[in-house]
Amino acid sequence: MKRKTNRILSLLLALIMCVGVLTACGGGDTPAQKDPAPPANTDTDKAPDTQPSEPSEPAGPDISKAVTLTMYLIGDRPVDNDEVFEKINERLKAEINATIDVKFMSWSEYESKYPLIFASGEEWDIIYTADWCFYNAQATKQGFWEITREDLETYAPMTAETMYPEAWEQAKVGGKVYMLPMNYKEITSYVYMARGDLMDKYNITSVSSLDEAEAYMDAIVQNEPGMIPLDVGSDYDKQFVFDRMWKQASRQAGLTEVGPWQVMACTKEDESAANVTGHYDQDIFEEVVTRLKDWKDRGFWSKNAVVNTQNNTESFQAGRSALALMNANTAKSVYAAVTADHPEWDVRVFDAQEDAPPVLNSYLANGMSIFSKSQHPERALMALDYLRNDKEVNSLFCYGIEGKHWEASGDNALVSLPDSANYAYDSNCNWGVRSDDNWRVIEGGIPNLPELTAKWQESARSSLFQTFVFDDAEVKNEIAAMGEIFNTDYKLLTLGFTDDPAGDIARLRDKMEAAGANKVYAALQDQANAFLAAN
Amino acid sequence: MKKKENLFLKDLRRNRVKWLMLVPAALVVILMCYIPMTGIVLAFKSYNYHDGIFGSPWVWLENFRYFFQSGKAWTTTRNTILYNLAFLCVNTVLQISCAIMLSEVIGKKFKRITQSVMFLPYFISWVVVGAFVYNLFNYEFGAVNTFLKGLGLDPVDIYSNKGAWPFILVAFSAFKNVGYGTVMYLASIVNIDDHLFEAAELDGANMWQKIRHITIPCIRPTIVILFLLAIGTIMKGDFQMFWQVTGNNPMVLETTDVIDTYVTRSLLTLQEFGMTSAAGLYQSGISFVLVLIANRLVKKVEPDYALF
Repeated sequence: MKRKTNRILSLLLALIMCVGVLTACGGGDTPAQKDPAPPANTDTDKAPDTQPSEPSEPAGPDISKAVTLTMYLIGDRPVDNDEVFEKINERLKAEINATIDVKFMSWSEYESKYPLIFASGEEWDIIYTADWCFYNAQATKQGFWEITREDLETYAPMTAETMYPEAWEQAKVGGKVYMLPMNYKEITSYVYMARGDLMDKYNITSVSSLDEAEAYMDAIVQNEPGMIPLDVGSDYDKQFVFDRMWKQASRQAGLTEVGPWQVMACTKEDESAANVTGHYDQDIFEEVVTRLKDWKDRGFWSKNAVVNTQNNTESFQAGRSALALMNANTAKSVYAAVTADHPEWDVRVFDAQEDAPPVLNSYLANGMSIFSKSQHPERALMALDYLRNDKEVNSLFCYGIEGKHWEASGDNALVSLPDSANYAYDSNCNWGVRSDDNWRVIEGGIPNLPELTAKWQESARSSLFQTFVFDDAEVKNEIAAMGEIFNTDYKLLTLGFTDDPAGDIARLRDKMEAAGANKVYAALQDQANAFLAAN
Repeated sequence: MKKKENLFLKDLRRNRVKWLMLVPAALVVILMCYIPMTGIVLAFKSYNYHDGIFGSPWVWLENFRYFFQSGKAWTTTRNTILYNLAFLCVNTVLQISCAIMLSEVIGKKFKRITQSVMFLPYFISWVVVGAFVYNLFNYEFGAVNTFLKGLGLDPVDIYSNKGAWPFILVAFSAFKNVGYGTVMYLASIVNIDDHLFEAAELDGANMWQKIRHITIPCIRPTIVILFLLAIGTIMKGDFQMFWQVTGNNPMVLETTDVIDTYVTRSLLTLQEFGMTSAAGLYQSGISFVLVLIANRLVKKVEPDYALF
């Protein structure tokens, strides 16, 4: 008797385990089972097209079926995001019968997550993209839905009218457009941020050039043993000081950068044909590295800078360092935070561009794209049309709710209200829909910024190869091998970690050539010349 | 042949409950291990989203080229194998000795607390451990150097000292994993028949003799199986550990670079699924060979304990 119950029990157990496994699989399968459903939806989507059920809109696209669009943004969800999008959705629902559901991927994981959502089979429609944020890579891998001029005229008439023609041209990859680039002229320029109290203490009047920064940091090293003058070295700012020096030197030498940054290539700017070489083949590279080595040896940044995990603005805010280097956009928020926490520091902001003109960004520095497997690409395009051009929707997305997060100040400016802590100005990854027509600048903040901005706007220009897109299909292996060198040997040199600049540069050259640099530079040169000939 | 088949059917009939109990495990293995294995083809393809895994064009061995082109294939493979061997040996020895020591301790409360405290590091993420390490060894304000300066000694710059890192990594691997393994060995020690110890005591054996002649021989199957399982993962260095603890420091790469960190650095900005799959396949291939060799060795020495 007992044996029998035992047997029955064990049979039952085995059955339960089987069922467990099968249901677990069932759970995993559901997304796949969902897959066939949406095509059916699109069928019903089309069906009313033929039925005269919506006679009120004869020429416009069919919007009889309500859809929810999923939009991916980069960053963390602002506290008031849902409230803002509720208002946006109210409007979109009325205009195009669609609502937007926003998903976020944080800055710390976007590099790995971004490509994954294209491959995962997840359903989504709109995503933020940019030339620095996988636009080319995903466009060539057919991750984005192609946007044609006709699509624009049919589904995004406002955009078709307002978009800068050069922006449309820049967005082309292999002759096709996969992105709606921002309609906004953006300048990237760098500033130094220094401690006024320390400057006064050591009789430093200005920190707006490399030499002045050197004098200031020297004073700090000599007199403030508890401080690291400029705490660079993290992934964010490992190249900042090198960049400042390189920009000055290469401007004097008439050089300009070309190609992806990990191949470290440049060419003479004034010649009609490109002659691509590596940084390491330029004399100025050794000069710059020697100066970096000198700065590093004098203790201007940490001996452990290569493993720094904090960026220099964080150290500056924590009072551990006396100088910070950042772009003007970041400076706005850092300045606000520091002056609120430590008014006694008397923080001052200086131009770090010197005579190197700031970069007039390509329009592709921010943009929005539609997923190639989106179920509702047309409706997504219509939604983007409103996000970009509709004054109300655009302002909601860019600055939050009027009267709660901001208040208008004239037609082109605004004042942030205290609630903007929960939805900060221009920081919800809205950059892809920025539009010069609807733009408002923020008032208050860094006192000398308007003056600096005026200067930058005058001198800003786009670099010669700004819109040049390198097709790396033939040299992927070489670029991977060079990427490794970029992240190791090159990183050490650009932070001044070398005992023998000339010798280490020669070793860098050997490694780069072994990795296939010459093949990459030859390919780069051919394509760059073709680019110059076409423009 | 026919007879054999009949035997199998007979066995199936006789032990149907046992066979039925095997089904869930087999299903899991097939669904989770064998079916996804078809993804290996990615290593030989130039992947794009539109054509998907199977439709993308073939490039054959092209994806493997970058790995050998940079001349790092040998260093990283060597480091990967040596590090994992060191982890394996050091951790196993420490785990067994801790387990035996704990089993000899009589105070129950002390035993429990020690066990929990040792187990705790297993749950700490490598990111956090990386922060520990940075705050210990930082040149300007790290704990070690602050201590040395307090004693009037010269500070040391550990982040540019290649020789120190193998020891640091082995120490932190032990810190994190010893507690976990100890619990497994302790469980198998507890299962040893008490009569054996009682009989040995009657014969006048001391503690060392009991450990040497009873405890260790009794847990040998556990040791061998855990060892073989660990060999299987020897090529997959604990990526998080190498990346976070060394802070991806280019100054000491010669002694700390393993295949995973190398591949991550090369391909992070390139987003080539095919090339990363190629590196994965290379690792799996070598792991497979290593498991075969290890199993063969075990078979020679202890035929009963071999995996297959």
